[in-house]
Amino acid sequence: MKKFYLKRSTLGIPYILFLSLFVIAPLIIICYYAFTNGAGQFTLQNLTAFFTSGDAIGTLIYSLLVAVVTTIVCLLIAYPVAFILAKGGYKRGNVLLMLFIMPMWINFTLRITALKEILTLLEGNLAFHPFLNTILGMTYDFLPFMILPLYNTLVKIDSSYTEAASDLGAKTSHVFFKVILPLSIPGIVSGVTMVFLPAMTNYVVLDMMYNSTYIMGSLIGSYFNAYDWNNGSLISLILLILMLIISWITGEFTDSDETTGGAYE
Amino acid sequence: MKRKTDFIILGAAFIAAIAVSLTGCQKAKSDTLVLRVANWEEYIDEGGWDSSEAIDLENGTTILGRNSMIDDFQQWYEQTYHKKIKVEYSTFGTNEDLYNQLTIGDTFDLVCPSEYMIMKLLSEDKVVPFSNEFFDTDNKENYYARGVSPFIREMLNKQEINGLSLGNYVAGYMWGTLGFVYNPEKISRAEAEDWNLLRNPKYAKRITTKDSVRDCYFAGLAMVEQDTLQSDDFLQKNDYKEQLQELLNNTDSEKIAQVGAVLREVKDNAYSFETDSGKSDLVSGKVYANLQWSGDGPYSMQQAEEDGVELKYAVPKSCTNLWFDGWCMLKSGIDDNAEKQQAAEAFVNYISKPENAIRNMNYIGYTSSIAGGDSQDIFDYIKWCYGAEEDDSDTEDYPLGYFFSGNENDENYVIRADKDMVTGQLYAQYPSKDVIDRSVVMACFSPDANRQISKMWTGIRCFNPFD
Repeated sequence: MKKFYLKRSTLGIPYILFLSLFVIAPLIIICYYAFTNGAGQFTLQNLTAFFTSGDAIGTLIYSLLVAVVTTIVCLLIAYPVAFILAKGGYKRGNVLLMLFIMPMWINFTLRITALKEILTLLEGNLAFHPFLNTILGMTYDFLPFMILPLYNTLVKIDSSYTEAASDLGAKTSHVFFKVILPLSIPGIVSGVTMVFLPAMTNYVVLDMMYNSTYIMGSLIGSYFNAYDWNNGSLISLILLILMLIISWITGEFTDSDETTGGAYE
Repeated sequence: MKRKTDFIILGAAFIAAIAVSLTGCQKAKSDTLVLRVANWEEYIDEGGWDSSEAIDLENGTTILGRNSMIDDFQQWYEQTYHKKIKVEYSTFGTNEDLYNQLTIGDTFDLVCPSEYMIMKLLSEDKVVPFSNEFFDTDNKENYYARGVSPFIREMLNKQEINGLSLGNYVAGYMWGTLGFVYNPEKISRAEAEDWNLLRNPKYAKRITTKDSVRDCYFAGLAMVEQDTLQSDDFLQKNDYKEQLQELLNNTDSEKIAQVGAVLREVKDNAYSFETDSGKSDLVSGKVYANLQWSGDGPYSMQQAEEDGVELKYAVPKSCTNLWFDGWCMLKSGIDDNAEKQQAAEAFVNYISKPENAIRNMNYIGYTSSIAGGDSQDIFDYIKWCYGAEEDDSDTEDYPLGYFFSGNENDENYVIRADKDMVTGQLYAQYPSKDVIDRSVVMACFSPDANRQISKMWTGIRCFNPFD
């Protein structure tokens, strides 16, 4: 018998097992259901049904809208915060960072429940502004995921870059737009991915904020509740492909910036 | 060579995993009988009562749930039948979850879905009938057959699917009606006794409805048929009950479209389609009324009372949905094993023992299908819960003969209760005879109707820029 050595690749086995059991196997099952009908025969009908249904396309648009608006709002709030935390130059930075990260330790349904009460005080009746409340809830929920990568990137930008730019006569606004912003793009990209993708499917927030309109997550659920696994699987697959495309696009962004940035690991 | 060792290790790990799981199964098989039971979440007494929580009935019986019902059953079974039993108890969140679990190959011996899911399973030939021994009322241990309410027995026998009577396949567990829990300070009782409350503009964004296709379809259909349902002509028909049943089980394409139009109005007018926020929103005052199953009513009202808010329960005047959850044995689990079937039937009998039915009712808040037979315990329990302490002008007689003896005028089963209870908790837990008269069971939709109704429902819920 050959002697057994613990190789590097052997260490990967638990992960491979996990991956094949819980990621690849379900994926194969989803693909099977997506391209068969109730009787188990191959069909493309589910695919055509998705692209010809106004409800399905409308839900896709609505989900994208929720995700895009949430991401923009998160970015607009998070960037200045992350900037101040990273560049403020005072030691309170860590304390402030904790203040933003700490809410993440509390279960998000609890946080949304609290937010609901506050908004009811402010708005009176939540049901009149379902979209606004959804965005507020999502922003509240996902903001830390935007702040953290931005902070990590910004804090690593060497201050000699900005000093050099100022020495050479750049105005403050120029320093920001020509030096800091381009260098922080990797942080923006990872922040956007961490907010955009979950925001597209997190129907729990919608439910809790009394928004009765379906997004992709709830639409998939509704098909499974009606015993229609085939159409449900197809929509899951479409969502998956959409996410792969989005991660690929954002991946392209970070790759091209890696050489110029240097701030991103 | 390196590749090869990896493969061997991977293979060995797989084989080991499979072997472990197999021996796991084998071990359990040996001397103890295993009964796999699936029930709703929080739908059986889990024990752990304090002695201060004991129920002291008028007839001297004291009821206390120290251990969980499952543990007690295991003990009782061993004592009674001298065989060891292990109940593998699991729970599900919706009927559809249970159905999907069964579809991917999970097997259960005994499950407790709602009426329409039972009918669906029965129409797919997945249910084992209860044995003749189970219905033998001479056997002292047959608590179900001896104790089930005559009203429930008759109702189950009348329900048929594919020519099979539900009475042979189902043992009733909990049952109730569909109605509104409402805040009487904001809404009048007359308004709450009308399905149109859901689209009443006077209460725009103040009423929640259930995020459930079937419940909304029923309410929608009742609104569409409102005029017919309340016309004298219809009410005085000889076969009123049959006509009512037929009218409220209508799933023609045309009807579905009409219901869809009504439900669109409901979506625009209602506060939300809720899954579980309705009760707390009523108490906090966010909403004034909430479509609820009667079983959830008493608990909501009690909670609200503790917070100083008075809530009532109303059942619309035109009609209501009579729902029930029942135990049925599945072919995939029982698999012609007489021993298992006997154990499953014993389980149903054990939880149908009056004292156990009371424990479950007290724990869950719903209404048991058991009336108790010879035992007065259940009637005394209702008295213990809702009976008035003094006979003054604020009390009234509330007859429940239809449930306990099958005779609505039976004077032995009349409760003297506070007027508050007669429109509140008591009314929710045990509806009066007039509510029963206008209630129908909504059968499972045919696959085709189900597709159309789901489509209608998705259409209402989705954002559609092309409409």
